[in-house]
Amino acid sequence: MIFMKNKKTNQNSSAVFYQVPRTSLAWILCSLVAVIMPHVLRMPFWLVIVCGLCVLGRVLIYQGRMSYPGPWIKTAVVLVILWTMLAQFGRNIFSTESTVAILIVAICLKLLEMHRKRDVLMVIYLCYFTVISEFIWSQSIPIAAYMLVCVLLISSALMSLTQTQEYQNPLRTIKLSGLILLQSVPLMLALFILFPRISPLWSVPLQSASARTGLSESMSPGDIGNLIASDELAFRVKFAGERPATSQLYWRAITLDSFDGREWTRGFSFEPQFLGAAASDNKSWFEDIEYRGDILDYNVIMEPTDENWVFSLKIPQVVDDRMLMRRDFQIDSIRNVSQRFSYDMRSFMDNRLDMTLRPRELQRWLRLPEEGNLASKAFALQLHEESGSDEAYIQNVLAYFTREPFFYSLQPPLLDVNPVDQFLFETREGFCEHFSSSFTYLMRAAGIPSRVVTGYQGGEYNPYDDTLVVRQYDAHAWSEVWLEDQGWVRIDPTAAVAPGRIEQGSQFTFQADESFLQDAGMSLLRFRNSAILNDLRYRLEMIDYSWNRFVLNYDQSLQFAFFGRFFREVTREKIIISSMIFIFLSVSLMIFLVLRKPSRDRFHPATDLYLRYCDGLSKQGLARERGETPWQYYLRLSNLKPAWSQQMQDITELYIKLVYKNADPEQEAKAILDFKNKIRHFHMLMY
Amino acid sequence: MTTASQTESYSKTLNPYLIWRRSFGRWIVKRIPPAKNIVLNINNIFIIPNKQGLGFCFVLVLMFIGAINYETSLAFALVFLLIGMFILTIFYTYRNLAGLHLSAVTDNSVFVGENAEITVILNRHGKRIYEAIELSFANSRKVVADLIDQKEFRSRLFIATRKRGYFNPGRLRVETFFPFGICRAWSLIDLELKCLVYPQPLECDLDMLNQNDQDTGKVNVSRGNDDFYNLREYQVGDPLKHVAWKHFARGRGMYTKQYSSNVDEKIWLRWSQFAQFSEEDRLSKLCYCVLKLDAAGVDYGLDIPGCLIEPSKGSLHYHSVLRALALY
Repeated sequence: MIFMKNKKTNQNSSAVFYQVPRTSLAWILCSLVAVIMPHVLRMPFWLVIVCGLCVLGRVLIYQGRMSYPGPWIKTAVVLVILWTMLAQFGRNIFSTESTVAILIVAICLKLLEMHRKRDVLMVIYLCYFTVISEFIWSQSIPIAAYMLVCVLLISSALMSLTQTQEYQNPLRTIKLSGLILLQSVPLMLALFILFPRISPLWSVPLQSASARTGLSESMSPGDIGNLIASDELAFRVKFAGERPATSQLYWRAITLDSFDGREWTRGFSFEPQFLGAAASDNKSWFEDIEYRGDILDYNVIMEPTDENWVFSLKIPQVVDDRMLMRRDFQIDSIRNVSQRFSYDMRSFMDNRLDMTLRPRELQRWLRLPEEGNLASKAFALQLHEESGSDEAYIQNVLAYFTREPFFYSLQPPLLDVNPVDQFLFETREGFCEHFSSSFTYLMRAAGIPSRVVTGYQGGEYNPYDDTLVVRQYDAHAWSEVWLEDQGWVRIDPTAAVAPGRIEQGSQFTFQADESFLQDAGMSLLRFRNSAILNDLRYRLEMIDYSWNRFVLNYDQSLQFAFFGRFFREVTREKIIISSMIFIFLSVSLMIFLVLRKPSRDRFHPATDLYLRYCDGLSKQGLARERGETPWQYYLRLSNLKPAWSQQMQDITELYIKLVYKNADPEQEAKAILDFKNKIRHFHMLMY
Repeated sequence: MTTASQTESYSKTLNPYLIWRRSFGRWIVKRIPPAKNIVLNINNIFIIPNKQGLGFCFVLVLMFIGAINYETSLAFALVFLLIGMFILTIFYTYRNLAGLHLSAVTDNSVFVGENAEITVILNRHGKRIYEAIELSFANSRKVVADLIDQKEFRSRLFIATRKRGYFNPGRLRVETFFPFGICRAWSLIDLELKCLVYPQPLECDLDMLNQNDQDTGKVNVSRGNDDFYNLREYQVGDPLKHVAWKHFARGRGMYTKQYSSNVDEKIWLRWSQFAQFSEEDRLSKLCYCVLKLDAAGVDYGLDIPGCLIEPSKGSLHYHSVLRALALY
């Protein structure tokens, strides 16, 4: 669309060109470069060069060393760029990245045909728009601060366009636009807090070319071990009450049911019986959940995953409108979590799920591939027979892990044909996915319904803001088995091998391991042994959390919570009315700031005193007339009030001398003091 | 014929544009009465967002839609910040005119066809500065005034004159788009400007004055009024055009040329002398004669219907004669 416009404007390029003033051009180029900067790494390299050439070309045009490119050249350039973009992005041409890249290159090309003032304004306005596009990727505090500087530059460019070239002073321009932006802040805050948040008008593509680090919908040996290398944030939790012990913090994410001998996957779509907004009539299965134990309220802010699943402790009692619970108790967000996502949950520390299983479901939780891992299958059957009961069998399997030389390791040997057999009887070195996978296999082989659950375990507690920070290296996998009279029970075979992992978290277990945090670069997390740096890290994380919680994830619930402080009962009407009042007040405050009387010029100190003398007289009905000189005034008054004549003459003479006669500063200061006394005496005389 | 003129008069009275102009004229006189000095304030400043401002709003709407769709808090914050900026700009633009003192002076000696020069004087009191204020009359070019370091700014505006007599340049438009160009604040003020426009001089033969005088026999004019008589030392007050510049250039001192006809000559400029011309042409030719006679330094008087000025000379006389011609 933008390019079509380019072609159209080519036709009247013969008109007299509007010459952008030099200072304004400098402002525009500065703000454009500043605005493009954060996008540079995301854009194809050749596009960055095209943008650079456009800026250079604009400077050359200004200097008169180059003329505006003709219509044919422009059309050719646009076509070549479009064609190359299509080749580069292919089907992703409508992705956010390519759209923003097109926007940026379009602004740069527009530089080369700023014939009219309208074109210049278009460039400036589009710069504002580009600022917004950056926020799609990052809304961190440094980016916000940088973008504020960009807005200041763009506004200065806009202002400089209305100023007279010869009287421009860049410092004054940026000061005034900064002042205006600063004065806009109260209204911005008012609108930010009070404006109702609207749900998106239509869904927007948010394709990210770079794969995200995080859990995936399947699990094969080595998958979770890879996450250990990353210190990226997974999510943050704030508990309303007491924080549970670290060993209780099993954050469920994905339930895996089908096994092909090597990889666990979600076999087929689970019955669409949802809890939450999309709940169907057949509610029997989730009404059967028994909630027991302590209540746990918490808020989770999840980093984008581009997936649907969300995290919860145990099974939440209620999920909000944006989420639903599947039959296998996996909780999914209705929309992809492509942005940072904040939600509240209520879990109970104890719950009993699926006390009865229908035969069809039973089948699902027992299914194993016919071939492969035969040794394990035989082992399971034998051990189950020996144990007598299911519970005893589970205990025996866990005891087997503890008794035999199993190792919890980040770099387990590779497994090939029969991974379960190989792990259980040969290598015996593995990470949580090896343990949970083989444990679940042994369960199913013995006829106990079971499944693998992946998610995160533990997290780091930040003492400054009471939040629990869960990072990628906290990723974990465990098992759930179904027992009669108990329903689904969580069993973590890793805990049997490496209790430290569960009680203290993975960072303590692995901090000596070289592959731990190997992707994290110069992360502050590397210096957790230094008390000062660790403290600094906690503080920075606290600021970041508040920023995320209260600014980036400001939503209706926070809005209601905000008003809850002022009203006992919050209703829409109250919000609207108080918003109006608040906005009115902030606008009035701004108007007052802008329109208050300009401060008066400083008079000669003697003049100030003389004016006070005149004020005193005017209260007696003897005001000085317009255009009357002090001496004329005295002459007129001396006829009217002969009694005061002498004093008035002294004052007037002294005043004239003070104002019109040059004297050295010391003497003048003395004379002014004298003058002041005379006036004071005269005032006493009058009353 | 009658119907045609009737429809014409109808269209004149009923033309919505003219009606609007008339009622606007009446309204604005009431709203901003003419005065020699005007201080711009809430009573005489108008303000409205302009086309650029609408463009800005359009961009804001686009940004707002983007913020909603991508659910980005900071995008909301930016849009709200810019909304605040827009609202503030209305007041800042108003402020860029409020408190400004305006007055104007005109230059009197203008002949029809020349540009009347009007000097608009802007004054500021206090610390507030004023930037990029555009001044213009209905048919003059725009002049931009800036009061940043100085307290007073004089801007000169030129308007072409087309008719003799008192010329009123109309209301002065004081306009500003500062600071962001997204609002327009303006005022239309009448500074009681009155500029006297003299008739356009039309060249004519000065002999015509002689011919007619012979008829009346009152004044005898020799053709020698341009004849050089002698030089005398320059005295302050001598007309500069009589200075012997060639002499001066040679470095022989400053002398004033004296003409033989200066002595005792009195010339009457009469209405009847140009009987064969139309009224305006008569005035124009008389005007030409006045210019010539003044340059020559002769005494001349004016005798036209309704006005009689005794022969005399000098700047005051010259202007009063021209004034009589302008206002005929």
